[in-house]
Amino acid sequence: MTEYKAAQPEFFMKDGKMNRRTFIKGVGAITVASALGFATNPSVAEASKGEVPAGEGEKSVHAVCTVNCTSRCHLQGTVRDGKLIRVEPGDMPGRPGYANACLRSMSYIQRLQDENARVMYPMKRTGERGSGEFERITWDEAIDLIAEKLNAVVEQDPKNASFYSFTGDLGKMSWEAPTRFAGCLGATTWDIEGIMGDHGASMGMTMVFGTHRGAHDSRDYLNSKLLICWGRNVADTHTSELRDYVAARKNGAKVIVIDPRQCSTAAMADEWIAINPQTDPALALGMMNWIIENDLHAKDKLVEESVAPYLIREDNGRYLRMVDGKVVDSIEEDSAEEGSIGTAPAAQGAAGAGASSYVLWDELTDGAVSAPDAATIKSGAVRPALSGTFTVDGVECRTAFDHLVDSCKEYTLERTSEICGIPVETIERLSREYIEAQPAAIRMGQGMQRVYHSYSPFRTVATLAMVAGYIGVPGGGASHAGGTATNKPVAGYVGPVYDFTDWSDTGKQANLLPSSQVYNAAVNRDPVGIDFMWIANSNFINMSPNSNYIINTVLPAIDFIVTVDPWWTWTAKYSDVVLPATTYWEHWDLIDRSPWAMFNQPSIQPMGESKSDVEIMTMLAKKCGVEQYWDKTDEEWVRQFVGTDHPAWDDFDWDRDVVEQGIYGRSDAIYDSAIVYADGTGYQTDTGKFEFYTEAMLEFNDEVPTWKPPLEDPRQGELSEKYPLVFIQYHDRLNVHTQHILNPALEVVQDEPLLQMNPVDAAARGLSHGDVVHVFNDRGDMKIRLFVTEGIIPGTVATQSGWTPDYFIEGCYQNLSHLTICDAEEAYSMTNSAFYDILVEVEKA
Amino acid sequence: MAETKRFGMVIDTRHCVGCQTCTISCKISNEVPGSAHWNHMESLTGDVLYQPTGTFPHPVLGFRPMLCNHCDDPACVRNCPSGAMQKDPETGIVSVDQNVCIACGYCDWVCPYGAPSMDDVNHAMSKCNFCAERAAKGEEPFCVASCPANARIFGDLNDPESEVSKLIHEHHGEQYLPEAGTSPCVFYI
Repeated sequence: MTEYKAAQPEFFMKDGKMNRRTFIKGVGAITVASALGFATNPSVAEASKGEVPAGEGEKSVHAVCTVNCTSRCHLQGTVRDGKLIRVEPGDMPGRPGYANACLRSMSYIQRLQDENARVMYPMKRTGERGSGEFERITWDEAIDLIAEKLNAVVEQDPKNASFYSFTGDLGKMSWEAPTRFAGCLGATTWDIEGIMGDHGASMGMTMVFGTHRGAHDSRDYLNSKLLICWGRNVADTHTSELRDYVAARKNGAKVIVIDPRQCSTAAMADEWIAINPQTDPALALGMMNWIIENDLHAKDKLVEESVAPYLIREDNGRYLRMVDGKVVDSIEEDSAEEGSIGTAPAAQGAAGAGASSYVLWDELTDGAVSAPDAATIKSGAVRPALSGTFTVDGVECRTAFDHLVDSCKEYTLERTSEICGIPVETIERLSREYIEAQPAAIRMGQGMQRVYHSYSPFRTVATLAMVAGYIGVPGGGASHAGGTATNKPVAGYVGPVYDFTDWSDTGKQANLLPSSQVYNAAVNRDPVGIDFMWIANSNFINMSPNSNYIINTVLPAIDFIVTVDPWWTWTAKYSDVVLPATTYWEHWDLIDRSPWAMFNQPSIQPMGESKSDVEIMTMLAKKCGVEQYWDKTDEEWVRQFVGTDHPAWDDFDWDRDVVEQGIYGRSDAIYDSAIVYADGTGYQTDTGKFEFYTEAMLEFNDEVPTWKPPLEDPRQGELSEKYPLVFIQYHDRLNVHTQHILNPALEVVQDEPLLQMNPVDAAARGLSHGDVVHVFNDRGDMKIRLFVTEGIIPGTVATQSGWTPDYFIEGCYQNLSHLTICDAEEAYSMTNSAFYDILVEVEKA
Repeated sequence: MAETKRFGMVIDTRHCVGCQTCTISCKISNEVPGSAHWNHMESLTGDVLYQPTGTFPHPVLGFRPMLCNHCDDPACVRNCPSGAMQKDPETGIVSVDQNVCIACGYCDWVCPYGAPSMDDVNHAMSKCNFCAERAAKGEEPFCVASCPANARIFGDLNDPESEVSKLIHEHHGEQYLPEAGTSPCVFYI
């Protein structure tokens, strides 16, 4: 077994009062000199309650940040004279040291209380779309106008009315209200993970693990000797976890960042390994090849917990399947479960449904046997062959591992180096350090999957972790997104924690479609038409690929567009009616972030006439004949959600936990296991094992992890001659999407978008730091200031995502991108926007 | 009455990621007016913030978060013609009394660290005061509490058992620009 020295993670302390870190332990009051003119406050008994009490005339308020950065921080605000004046990290009950608030959430209060930035009233377009000419109308006028348009479309075919909700506010109610409304009408809604460019990770994860997400609790990295942030800039994009990475490093773990850019996280890492964009799978394959060639792969773990020993038919490449000891051609599969609102569709594994029909070769009996679970193999009852060719019932087979080895073989150090732009010796050293660390952790980031064939990076890097034996091991893993489930099962209790019965009851069902098809729908009425489009929580034009195409082709094909947003976005300006939405400081909402329940509530009066998404839908429901499903106030919904008799709520007190604290640490909360897939259990793949051999990808010659060149390949072809530079758009300290640009206080950090370029590329073009440059390809262009830096790999240029056209000298970064359907992805579930699979050229403007 | 303090800070540049949560936290939470800032960020090794030094593939990206150093012998206090700039003998905190300040800007001119920042709303100098009100209650300054890398540590340099004293000792914390002769109370690792 592993010989790691278990560190002591901090366990959830139900009764432990979470304290703000003080610099003096067991603090008493100390004197501040009268010269400073401050009164000394002797009543520091309150300091035992974590947060600082509000001052005189001030009120402490709470919210959970619901923008889509994955942190979901609990925020403590201060209100004075009805205005939010301050935001600080809010306590996380039971998890000391985890309170966090970033610079974006702190400065956000400036923008959200600025009536010039906000949509204040319902507005109706008077000029051309995009002109920005609107007139103020009343809520009644707005709802009447929208209902008239919507009802006419629904009468023809409800599927031709679309409700599109993106990630601007991921509070349960804000996020789901528009799609829930679609459910009431039988209208269309869109699974947004594809168009936003996050779905490649989900596909890759699902292929090997059977679920979209899965991660070690970041405190588990105290057990790691090496921590690789692979395409993951945790410092800027999952800020609340950074403290744990720092703690891991202080604890002796080496931290390596693999990224085309020397991102913020690289500043606290021991090493930055610069990699060409779109080549991460090649590096993982190269590392696997080195590990296997040196006979350092985790043979026991591979045969116990993965499909490595499973037999693959030589005649058709499918898994060999046996029923009652006889080889069968195929097994009747249950069809994939249909997605429901708020979840991604399809591609969710069926948790070992046909697991026993798979076959491996048992060396003890020298015969084919039905593949047993990990525990049985660990017990020694069978000894699966990792490699070899076997004939079963006349069918010739090889093991899945041999297929993987074949795929890896191409990736010699030299070839990997050539593809990835990483020196041979660095790849070799990285491979050695990774396998010798025992254990080593990998945190994967979505930065590596905004490419064509986007499932490949997560799938391949996770397979590397399995080959090295690090899956399900403390201090190891190949993790994506959040932490582990942290609630203990309550014996004998099977009811739900939350009561979403009424919320889930919409009478009809929404027509949930992959967002990779939304342009096609608008333009070609395939698979549905879009005659009415409701856009909420979304600056659609700014954050979707190919903005020129959206403006010139997609939106003109849509008869009527309503945008609901707190901000006057690029998208709002192309809408026919714009409705003012509240922000998370102004409305009720719930975030289920196990082991906590986190709450939003109106801490300030809504700006202007803004309303919550639920309030708006409730008004519209009355005009569309679905008012019976919208019969509660926002607060009543939240009260119903948490009003179950589940033991999770044993200590729950509304006034204390919702109103005063804004967060509730569940009574059933516990941090028991900080890792996933311990002992080879928990896989929700069809085999019930770590499944690197993907039958569904056979027709695309992608059944085992491999690397495919990008769609827009800088290495060869006509396009690369015209546009030789790879262009990526990354998330940095100033943005999540567009909602924080530009909070006034942030100007001191950066006040305009910048194009990062290596000096080698700048010199070749006669460009200097600070020059205004023209960046272009066939789809569009932008003028932007150049930031020359050694911190980016040559051949790649990069801009921060989220900047709106107002801040570009000309154009916008998003008109350089494209939405190109990838057949393999579309067949598996849906295409992922390849935001980092783009070629451009740069010249002096 | 507590004994005399010498408040100081340790900033561990090995873990600073340059996010500037300190800068913004200070600005928002202290309600620093107008264009003034009491914290700012500089490159650790070069001239241009966010531009690493050295050459690809091994450039060095580092940051030096800056704030008032609350020097033992502060140039701002020594050169203040109005007496607005003072160092508190009981805490070591350097602060400015805006009611006395004549906005001449000498302090800004003589400070080696660019710490005083003109308040263009109240037309008087403003600066970091180590969040004195919070310090009095044993609370960390806003910049320390908000740092997502735990790179800032605050405490009493007079107390050899304080975390700051220990860190300076163990990791050879260094003052920035000691040659300026002001004996700053902010140390960098």
